[in-house]
Amino acid sequence: MTAAREQLLALKQVTVAFSGFIAVDRLDFEVASGELRCLIGPNGAGKSTTLDLICGKSRITAGEIAFRGAPIHAFREFRIARTGIGRKFQVPSVFRELTVRENLEIGCSRDPGVWRNLFRFTGGVDTERLERLAVLVGLEDHLETQAAQLSHGQTQWLEIALILAQDPALILMDEPTAGMTAHETNMTAELFNRLRGKHTLIVVEHDMGFVRDIAETISVMHQGKLLAQGTADEVSQDAKVREAYLGSGGIGHA
Amino acid sequence: MSGKVSRQILLYGVVCLAILIVPVLVDDAFLLNKYARYLIFGMLAIALSLSWGYAGILNLGQATTFGLGSYCMAMFLKLKTVPIHTGSDGLPDFMVWNNVTELPWIWVPFHSMPVALLAGILVPALFAALLGWFMFGGRIAGVYAAIITLAAMVVVNLIIIDQQSYTGGFNGITDLARFEIFGLTFDAYSASTYYLVAICLTVTLFLALAVSRSKTGLILQAVRDQEERVRFFGYDVALYKTFVFALSAAIAGLAGMLYTIIMEFASPTFLGVPLSLSIVIWVAVGGRQSLLGAMLGAVLVTGVQGALSETEAFLETWTLVMGGLFVLIVLFMPKGLAGAFEALVRRFPKAAREGGARHAAEQSPKSQPHLGGAL
Ligand SMILES: Nc1ncnc2c1ncn2[C@@H]1O[C@H](COP(=O)(O)OP(=O)(O)OP(=O)(O)O)[C@@H](O)[C@H]1O
Ligand SMILES: [Mg+2]
Repeated sequence: MTAAREQLLALKQVTVAFSGFIAVDRLDFEVASGELRCLIGPNGAGKSTTLDLICGKSRITAGEIAFRGAPIHAFREFRIARTGIGRKFQVPSVFRELTVRENLEIGCSRDPGVWRNLFRFTGGVDTERLERLAVLVGLEDHLETQAAQLSHGQTQWLEIALILAQDPALILMDEPTAGMTAHETNMTAELFNRLRGKHTLIVVEHDMGFVRDIAETISVMHQGKLLAQGTADEVSQDAKVREAYLGSGGIGHA
Repeated sequence: MSGKVSRQILLYGVVCLAILIVPVLVDDAFLLNKYARYLIFGMLAIALSLSWGYAGILNLGQATTFGLGSYCMAMFLKLKTVPIHTGSDGLPDFMVWNNVTELPWIWVPFHSMPVALLAGILVPALFAALLGWFMFGGRIAGVYAAIITLAAMVVVNLIIIDQQSYTGGFNGITDLARFEIFGLTFDAYSASTYYLVAICLTVTLFLALAVSRSKTGLILQAVRDQEERVRFFGYDVALYKTFVFALSAAIAGLAGMLYTIIMEFASPTFLGVPLSLSIVIWVAVGGRQSLLGAMLGAVLVTGVQGALSETEAFLETWTLVMGGLFVLIVLFMPKGLAGAFEALVRRFPKAAREGGARHAAEQSPKSQPHLGGAL
């Protein structure tokens, strides 16, 4: 199935060491264009670190990260973002002092230049698009609300909307449903299913119910290495995966 | 949204108009000179509000760029006095006293007014751009950046004092000609000079307002809020910070040029730590996230200080009061007087307007027109 698709992202023998501690160890990881990939693994497996390496937040010690066939690991963060990679962080990070609308405007970063943006004012061309995005994540009644006043789930959604405003080809989602109610999680699964195909997604998630709802292929990481890869049923029956999760009370409770 | 913006423009316009009609009411050249000085401090406060209030860059050396602008104007006006106040070779007097025989190359371009006026804005802006590029490119932020701005000021100050034969050293550049442009002469003690300053202030205020309201202004606020996050949307944070730092310096440079006209000299004390720290206090008192608030904070604080300075004893007490006030405001009013004013306006008229006629259902956050945020 993935064979027919064009490869978008490829990590080759990627290693990162933090003062001696190897958090990601000779990782080979590939994602095809249009795929929705779930990345799971016990705490400390190196999932967030892997996303950090892709978006430039951390620098690789060895190996190569290629996006659309070209290496990007030496680029500065904003350059990586401009090639079409968006990141949602594990700890939701939005601009708390700004309103939801202002946050979304920051998200619309197709024109990132200082000079161009000096002559662009609020209520400009993006308004309609912003409001559509707000509807998509259920924040249409909170456009003028300060982001600091949103609930945890709403903050998560706002950050998701920011990434959608940015409209990158590849979206990296780090635990998007953390802190959400069951209902909110379902809504998020619905949203992700709608994004499928339009964007390529890598979703790091602990909630196995959610993962089953959205996943095509699941990659399992453990101690900085790729442990297994396959459908939800395949990986949950994999002996190595079961062993890796033993300490943390089984898959789905990690 | 747009209603809020037009209210803000209205409020800013009213304040600027009030400033512009002062000479109609005050017919005292000495007072006008003093008020013009306060307005120049207001411009400095606007400059710091842009970098500190909007982008979170605390500049403890704002006076550096102010001083550079001031010296550019002084060099131009000094050359206009030649050969009246000079020795034999048509050199500025202090150079003759320092046995300089030829006009230094750095002074030569200042014979030309357009060059001098441009230099007064561009030299500070370039200085800040270089310093900014070094700091922000190297991800130096917060306290460390603040310390570097302070250190840079001390260095520039020392160079100016040290290079006596080029800069007049400790004494600065004195005995200047009057500034003349388009056939108008600007005497330091005159209504026309007051107008010059007031117009520059108005233009600066609205320019800064436009920048703060632009998407670039919004991105700067996001940088202040969470610098790390902004990068991952594809914005070159270092470039944005360098831009606002240089813009702030350009405004300070303009203020410095006007200050030379008002004071009729330039001095190394213009690039001093006391002035730089005072600017921080004015802006904190007025409200750093409000351009108008910061500007009025400067006018208010220096105004009161000026009124008290007639009595020596009061002035000392005032310094203490200022210090205490600063600490209190930093602790309890992070948004300064502007923030307090907005909070007040938000509370009272809303209750008055919404009493009765309106349905509770209409009171969504969207439908609350108020002056809040207009500052
Ligand atoms: N900047 C860093 N410096 C030092 N150690 C780090 C750094 N970033 C991550 N680590 C370590 O690398 C390991 C992997 O961390 P990572 O955050 O990638 O795990 P994770 O799979 O996302 O786990 P979780 O499910 O808890 O979010 C952890 O042991 C962590 O302490
Ligand atoms: Mg993680």
